[in-house]
Amino acid sequence: MENTFAVEIQGLTKSFKDFRALDTIDLNIKHGEKVVICGPSGSGKSTLIRCINGLEEFDNGKILISGKPQNPAKESYVSDFHVGMVFQQFNLFPHLSVIENLKLGPMKSLGMSEKDAETRARKLLERVKIPEQALKKPNQLSGGQQQRVAIARALCMEPKLMLFDEPTSALDPEMISEVLEVIVDLAREGMTMVVVTHEMGFARKVADRIIFMDEGSIVEQNSPSMFFKNPQTARCKKFLNQILHH
Amino acid sequence: MFRILILILTIFSLSSCSSPEGTWGWYVIDPTTKAGWTNIKFLIGGFYSTILLSIIAAFLSIFIGLIVALPAMSDNKLLKLFNRIYVEFIRSIPLLPMLFWVFYGLPVILKSMGINANIDAFWGAIITLAISDSAFTAEIYRAGIQSISKGQTEAAKTIGLNYYQTMRYVIMPQALRRILPPLANQFIYIVKMSAFASVIGMQELTRRANEIVVTEYRPLEIYTLLIFEYLILVLLISFGVRYLEKKLGSNESANN
Repeated sequence: MENTFAVEIQGLTKSFKDFRALDTIDLNIKHGEKVVICGPSGSGKSTLIRCINGLEEFDNGKILISGKPQNPAKESYVSDFHVGMVFQQFNLFPHLSVIENLKLGPMKSLGMSEKDAETRARKLLERVKIPEQALKKPNQLSGGQQQRVAIARALCMEPKLMLFDEPTSALDPEMISEVLEVIVDLAREGMTMVVVTHEMGFARKVADRIIFMDEGSIVEQNSPSMFFKNPQTARCKKFLNQILHH
Repeated sequence: MFRILILILTIFSLSSCSSPEGTWGWYVIDPTTKAGWTNIKFLIGGFYSTILLSIIAAFLSIFIGLIVALPAMSDNKLLKLFNRIYVEFIRSIPLLPMLFWVFYGLPVILKSMGINANIDAFWGAIITLAISDSAFTAEIYRAGIQSISKGQTEAAKTIGLNYYQTMRYVIMPQALRRILPPLANQFIYIVKMSAFASVIGMQELTRRANEIVVTEYRPLEIYTLLIFEYLILVLLISFGVRYLEKKLGSNESANN
C-alpha cells in the first residue's frame, strides 16, 4: 500500500446555517482498521461519514481517501479505491428486483457485462445468506433482509472501505443480529470500515478503535476495552451510562 | 362504453319524438341522406388534424417540460431562476392570446431578425399548445422527481452512478409511475385546447363544426356531435393510459 491511511481527515469543519455540525475534526484511519463511531444524536457522526464519501460538502479542512482528496462536487466517484456505503434506511431501489439492485452499479458504472455482474451479485447474495430472494422486489423482504441486500449491493462495487450509517437503527430488534453478523463476517475478512452505531456489544467485538463524538467534535477515542472500562470524560461516561443501562 | 352508447341513443331518439315545434333537426347529420352523410364525413374529417396536432404538441410539451424541469432540481441558482421564470410566465398567458401572438406576431419578430418564416395554422397551433402546456408538464415532472426520496440519489451515487445514469435507471423509472397519470391529464387538456386552433383557420374538429353550422344553421345538433367527437378521443386516451399505468404499476401504491 502506498498510503498507510485509508482515510486522513484534517481540520474538517462543517456548518448547517448557524449549527456547527463538525468542528475541526482530525482523524486518520488505517487500512484494515475497524472504527466504530458513537455519540448522542446530533453529535455529527452521520455528517462525518457522509463527508468521507462525498455525499456532504464541507466548509473547511481536508479529506484524503487513500491519499486522494475527496471532492463532493464531482459527479461520480468510481475510483480504484471505492468507498461503499450502507444507509440507515437501506435506500434500495424499489422498482428493481434484489439481483437488479446488485447488478446496477457493476454494469453501469464499472461497465461489467450482465453475465459477470450476475455472477458477482449471486456470490454476494450467498455471502449475505439470502440467495433465494434474488428475484423478489425489496418491499417483499423483511427489514433485516433488505439491509443485507443493501450491504451486498455496496460490496458489488468491491469497495476498499465500507461506511455504515446506523445500519441497524431502522430494524426491529429481532433482525438486528442477522445484519450485525454479516458486518462481523466482513470485518473478519479484513475490510476497512467505519461504523456509526449504538450497538455497543458489536463495537466491543469488532472495533479496533471506538470514537465518541459530541457536539461536532471527537471527544474521546480508545480501544474498546479501555473505552468501556475507563471512559475519560464526563460526557462519555454519561453517554455510556445511558446507553448501557437500559 | 355501453352506458355511453345508451346516452348517445337517448339523445338521438329525442329527434324522433322531438317537440312539435321541431327544435331538433338531426337531418343535418343523418347518415342515411346524402347531404347528411356529406356533412358527417366533413365533420369527422377533422379528427385527423386534431389528433395529429395533439400528439405532436404533447410530445413536444413532454420534451420541453423535462428540459425546463431538470434545472429546477439543480443546485445552481441561475438555473433554478430560469425554471421559475419560464413556468410562472408561460402558465400565466391565456392560450388564445398566446395563439394570436405566435400566429400573427412571431413571423413579424422573425422577419425583423431577417428570417422569412411563415408560420401556418398547423405549426402555429402546435407551437402554442406545446409551449403553453410545457409549463404544466414541467411542474408535473418536478413534483414527480422530487417525490422520490433523496436517499435514492445518494444510494445511486455510492454505487458510482453519474447524474445521467441516476436519472435514467433510478429516479425516472420511479418518478414515471407517479408522473404518468397527471401527464395523461395534460394530454387530454391538449386535445381539448386544440379546439382553439379553429380561430386561426386550422381545419380540425371545431373549425369544421363551425363551418357546417354557418351553412346549415343547426348549431345544436352539430355541436352535440362535436362534443361526442371529443368524448370519444378522450375516452380512447383514458383507456390507453389505464393500460400503460397497469404495465408500469402506477396503480400500485408506492412502497418507499
